Amino acid sequence: MAQSMAGPQQSTSSFSQGLRRNGILGAFIIVVVALALTKQQFWSIENITNILQQNSVIGIIACGMTFAIIIGGFDLSVGATAAMASVVCAVVMTTSGQFGVPLGVGAAIAAGIMVGAINGALIAYLRINPFVATLGMMTIIRGLVYVSTNATPVFGVPYEFTNLGLGKIYGAPIVTLIFAAIALLLGAVLQLTRFGHHVYATGGNARATSVMGIDPDRLRFLTYVLVSVCAAISGVLLVGQTASGQPQAAMGYELTAIAAVIVGGASLGGGYGRMFGTVIGVLLLGVVSNGLNLFGVSPFWQPVATGVILILAVGLDRTRRD
Amino acid sequence: MSTASEGIGERRYVGGVEAATPRSILSVSDVSRYFGGVTALENVSMALNAGEITGLVGDNGAGKSTLVKLISGVIPPSAGHIEFDGRPADFASPSQARTAGIETVYQDLALAGNMTVWANVFLGRERFRGPRFLHLLDKKAMIVAAREMLGRFQMNVPPIEGNVDGLSGGQRQLISIARAAAWGSKLIIMDEPTAALGVAETQAVEGVIRTLKDRGFSVLIISHNLDQVFRLTDRIWVLRRGRMIGERRTAATDPNEIVSMITGARAGNGEVA
Repeated sequence: MAQSMAGPQQSTSSFSQGLRRNGILGAFIIVVVALALTKQQFWSIENITNILQQNSVIGIIACGMTFAIIIGGFDLSVGATAAMASVVCAVVMTTSGQFGVPLGVGAAIAAGIMVGAINGALIAYLRINPFVATLGMMTIIRGLVYVSTNATPVFGVPYEFTNLGLGKIYGAPIVTLIFAAIALLLGAVLQLTRFGHHVYATGGNARATSVMGIDPDRLRFLTYVLVSVCAAISGVLLVGQTASGQPQAAMGYELTAIAAVIVGGASLGGGYGRMFGTVIGVLLLGVVSNGLNLFGVSPFWQPVATGVILILAVGLDRTRRD
Repeated sequence: MSTASEGIGERRYVGGVEAATPRSILSVSDVSRYFGGVTALENVSMALNAGEITGLVGDNGAGKSTLVKLISGVIPPSAGHIEFDGRPADFASPSQARTAGIETVYQDLALAGNMTVWANVFLGRERFRGPRFLHLLDKKAMIVAAREMLGRFQMNVPPIEGNVDGLSGGQRQLISIARAAAWGSKLIIMDEPTAALGVAETQAVEGVIRTLKDRGFSVLIISHNLDQVFRLTDRIWVLRRGRMIGERRTAATDPNEIVSMITGARAGNGEVA
């Protein structure tokens, strides 16, 4: 009796999960191979480096976003937070003299922690819906950034700081190395530590976690802090790429990051997702947009492509599950 | 001091009735619980013997769930006191109750379906390896231990590394029960343990509940299914409209008497209906 109840369903579930994870990887490989075969310049070192360089900043945001989505929420304020961090970083760097660089970076991260704490408190403790809370925070932060800068960029960042945003180590862009390090670190946190484990549990069944003596509110709070810190790191790297603090930076990054995480196999309902999938999701969106570029398609088509990929990925997954 | 009070508590309950009276594991004394102006429980007293399966029955709204919540630390009583294993059981939270040895198996299955069987068994009680502050999960140890814990109940152990959402309701219930039993608990409370299960699964779960008794656990079952209560329990307590109507030894009563106590057709223990 008991054995007949379970076996087959169990294997289908893990099979479809495997298919799903490998499905996105397969799509990514197909796109890369197709582009490599049809466009010679695609497979050049310059182009590959270029793709990595362009997608690392949003990749870091997507790494943080993965936690928010697994725990059953998301964060719309990451783009605004990145812009705020870039402005804070630039202002502190240009006004603090000798130790401007570390102070600027520190101030940007501190600003990220503050935003995350507000998001986390609104969502975890005041029980405000993540959509409402982070949409509100997004417009508030962006507005404050415009007010404080009069919507003009902050120039005067030490030129050497662009090494961080544009420099390379043995041919690899430094921003990509930072993205890789963050993805590895956060992937390990997700898979190997108690925190990651409890994030999955809370996303799957928050009641079950609280019944078992875990505090889901504390986990949610910490998750939103983590997301905002990732956004702030991205903001610092944006300063490194432009040598300025840009109030208009990272516009729309929140939706691209969420799209990448979902394309990577996470479920907006919470409980599912992996860092590896997110990285592939970021690279897939980046490679497709690069491919459109190489074929001379107007950049206005890029959001269309992103949208189609997002709906295809989720739609195909739905048909597989049914 | 605590050992002394344990002894006193025991003796107080036994009260010199007869030498062979079993040890009390839980005693609820004159407990009331109000929600605003509504009285959910009034002057309820109940005693559970160690090593027995006790049934708690009553109609919808009789206060069964409220009483369970008081015992398992979910909500505090408005008046009266509860003693568990000879100590005052004024738990501030379910985890305090769990630490003291009271595990509750919830009707709506407190399992995370998106996680593996072993992860659910160890949810909130993970084992770690490496430097303590990193909280690195010791997956291998947990997988081995979870397989052993579930195997103890002679059930067909489901794939320990598979996700729970691929399992049937019966298998999930068995995991919940095995998890409750695995942690050195003394009293396991089950709220409608087979409410959502088919016949074969109900049999399997009832088998596990009997195994719990054989292993020395005390069990409190809340069930609507009187047949089941008579199949499993040693003693039955009946609640009606927030009052404890009475107690019967299962062997010394019959379903008709219990039904009349539940519905109020006949008063029990000298109470006027």
